[in-house]
Amino acid sequence: MVNVNANALGIIFPNSFDGLVPELVQNRTMASVPFAGRYRMIDFTLSAMVNAGIDNVTVITKENYYSLMDHLGSGREWDLTRKRGGLNIVPPYAQARNKIYHGRVEALNSVVSFLSRQKERYVVISDCNVACNFDYAAFIDAHMASGADVSMVYERTEIPEAAKADNYTLTMNEDGRVTEILTNDYRSGEQNLAMNIYIMEREALITLIKDAMVRNLVYFERDILARNLQLLHVQGYRYDGYRARICSLQSYFDENMRLLDPANRAALFSEKKPVYTKIRDDAPTRYVQGCRVKNVLAADGCVLEGEVENCVLFRGVKIAAGAKVKNCVLMQDTVVEAGAVLDNVVTDKNVTVSADCQLISNGSPIYVGKGKKVGPRG
Amino acid sequence: MKECIAMLLAGGQGSRLYALTQRLAKPAVPFGGKYRIIDFPLSNCVNSGIDTVGILTQYQPLVLNEYIGNGQPWDLDRLYGGVHVLPPYQKATGSDWYKGTANAIYQNINFIERYDPEYVVILSGDHIYKMDYSKMLEFHKAHNADCTIAVMEVPWEEASRFGIMSASDDGTITKFQEKPKNPESNLASMGIYIFTWDKLRKYLGEDEADPTSDNDFGKNIIPNMLDAGEHMVAYPFEGYWKDVGTIDSLWEANMDLLDPNVPLDVWDDDWKIYSRNSGMTGHFVSDTADVQNSMVTEGCTVEGKVEKSVLFAGVKVGKGAVVEESIVMPGAVIEEGAHVAYTIVAENVVVKKDAVVGCAKEEAEDPEKWGIAVIGEGVTIGEGAKVYPKAMVVKNVEDGDIQW
Repeated sequence: MVNVNANALGIIFPNSFDGLVPELVQNRTMASVPFAGRYRMIDFTLSAMVNAGIDNVTVITKENYYSLMDHLGSGREWDLTRKRGGLNIVPPYAQARNKIYHGRVEALNSVVSFLSRQKERYVVISDCNVACNFDYAAFIDAHMASGADVSMVYERTEIPEAAKADNYTLTMNEDGRVTEILTNDYRSGEQNLAMNIYIMEREALITLIKDAMVRNLVYFERDILARNLQLLHVQGYRYDGYRARICSLQSYFDENMRLLDPANRAALFSEKKPVYTKIRDDAPTRYVQGCRVKNVLAADGCVLEGEVENCVLFRGVKIAAGAKVKNCVLMQDTVVEAGAVLDNVVTDKNVTVSADCQLISNGSPIYVGKGKKVGPRG
Repeated sequence: MKECIAMLLAGGQGSRLYALTQRLAKPAVPFGGKYRIIDFPLSNCVNSGIDTVGILTQYQPLVLNEYIGNGQPWDLDRLYGGVHVLPPYQKATGSDWYKGTANAIYQNINFIERYDPEYVVILSGDHIYKMDYSKMLEFHKAHNADCTIAVMEVPWEEASRFGIMSASDDGTITKFQEKPKNPESNLASMGIYIFTWDKLRKYLGEDEADPTSDNDFGKNIIPNMLDAGEHMVAYPFEGYWKDVGTIDSLWEANMDLLDPNVPLDVWDDDWKIYSRNSGMTGHFVSDTADVQNSMVTEGCTVEGKVEKSVLFAGVKVGKGAVVEESIVMPGAVIEEGAHVAYTIVAENVVVKKDAVVGCAKEEAEDPEKWGIAVIGEGVTIGEGAKVYPKAMVVKNVEDGDIQW
């Protein structure tokens, strides 16, 4: 066989870290949180896998996955509509006796029989709370070269305040072998913060999962990796590239805004490794005579008549003449009517801000929930 | 079987678009920011419920073939039917280029018969319009017609540029004149026909047997059917329709998208125009930019001034650059300080720093010779170079040079 495809299959967890952004995941998963104007968080993970030649990807859902299913469809946009491999969405499986899974171990256990039927030698595992243009091919190569049982990705960074109750950090020896995994590290200063991307042999993963189930273990990192660092060779793999880590509404807002900087956009989106997403077939964005648009990242389908400054606009946003929108992230099909003033606001999908309404925050961004109508005034 | 299938004539060279059709067929010419011309008839087909379309190609088919692919962007990847690209092919008795529009259909009778249709819609790949062919088909059936021709009223002074129909009150066509000097009517054929297939097959066969025929629908098939007394009716169409076969009309049709008074609405969710997606990220308008009355799509970066223009995917407009009344096709770069006005800039063109391309009629040195300038695909206009209005540029222009 021609060696263009990676000898690895992918597993993606869409619901991890849902708890950090409760507003955004009321009707969706972390994986389907809209990001960067026309994407969902999972697009970055999926596209990176596909661009590395991984063409067998399993998404293990837990809850609130309707929007995710709608987004992924048959996987065509990611070139994952395949006879062999392709996209495999695993809905949560619950019976009277067993509840919906808690940790990764139970979730992985639900796909053990699937895993045992696959042919790829390795499994790469990822969550969806970090958007980055990760090079899985280099990661797989490094793992094979290291001779480790498991490799896990980390970055040198301060732990964001919002992530202090939900993270893993690593301690490594001079060879990069992980000697300690700390759960929910709250130290200040730069740490080796895990990005929850793993690779290991498929057969080894199956053995680990079966073993862990017997022992009633729940968490892959805490119960399997952290406890067995003498037995298992876990290797750290440092990532230094651009990444957008979503761990709160504030960080969601900040990470969108960071993309107004051309250097950051260039770092997240590369021409050679495009990020794929569901196509909506919107017409181009229309700039109407008299609009004033400055420093804006906008998707297609918008109609801009008013003033817009320092904003990220998703597909189909409409801003009427006389409206003023500054420092905002407006998700799909948000409508801002005439005379409304918005500053420091995140609107979810299908929000309407009525004429002359004012939404202004000097502190953390105001969030308007999906489908809500703000106003009219009085 | 299928009740109705569509055959789309997309073989035209589009010689009047010269610089734009050096390497691609006219239906593949980019239009309206994220479309190609062929997206309009194709989207009309699927929106009308027609799921089987044969696309007849001949001239420079590479770009068009790749663009159509398996038809998925138009939902035309079907188990039975779907979209098929039909180039001329070699047969046991020899091979033939498509000699004319009718001959192109004649050579693909076998394709049509596979679907055993009752009706066949014949479309052109060089018109911009939105039309529900299913309504036209109902009209065709209600009139028990052998052929229905979509017509629209054109200004009398323009009538001699079109195929002109004379029709009685109930719509029955009584006379057809191709580009008449003294038109008797102002009902112009839009090049959209519905035929009852049995009838069309008969006339295609007869036409093929006539060595003097041009094998053309307008010149031969339609007059022959009319002469033979077949029941032909005119289907009146109201709405936007434009033949974009010339530089001026292509430019105008793009500008029409920016005119709120022109009834060509590509933002209508109920009649979407589908296209193959560029896959680029959202576009960016910087704090030095000023964009007015324009369309901007994915992948664009605008740092200069853009007024009354259509920017396609991945276009870059540098700081201090001005783009006005222009169409800038995918991947083109307008560098800092350049000025582009009343111009069609084709794909991947680079207009270097401080170059001046085209101008408004009022500013032209010789308003008599003014027109839309065209920069052909991949051409570089050098730093400080000047391209006069109405120029057709197909070769690089060196720094500081002047091109008429």
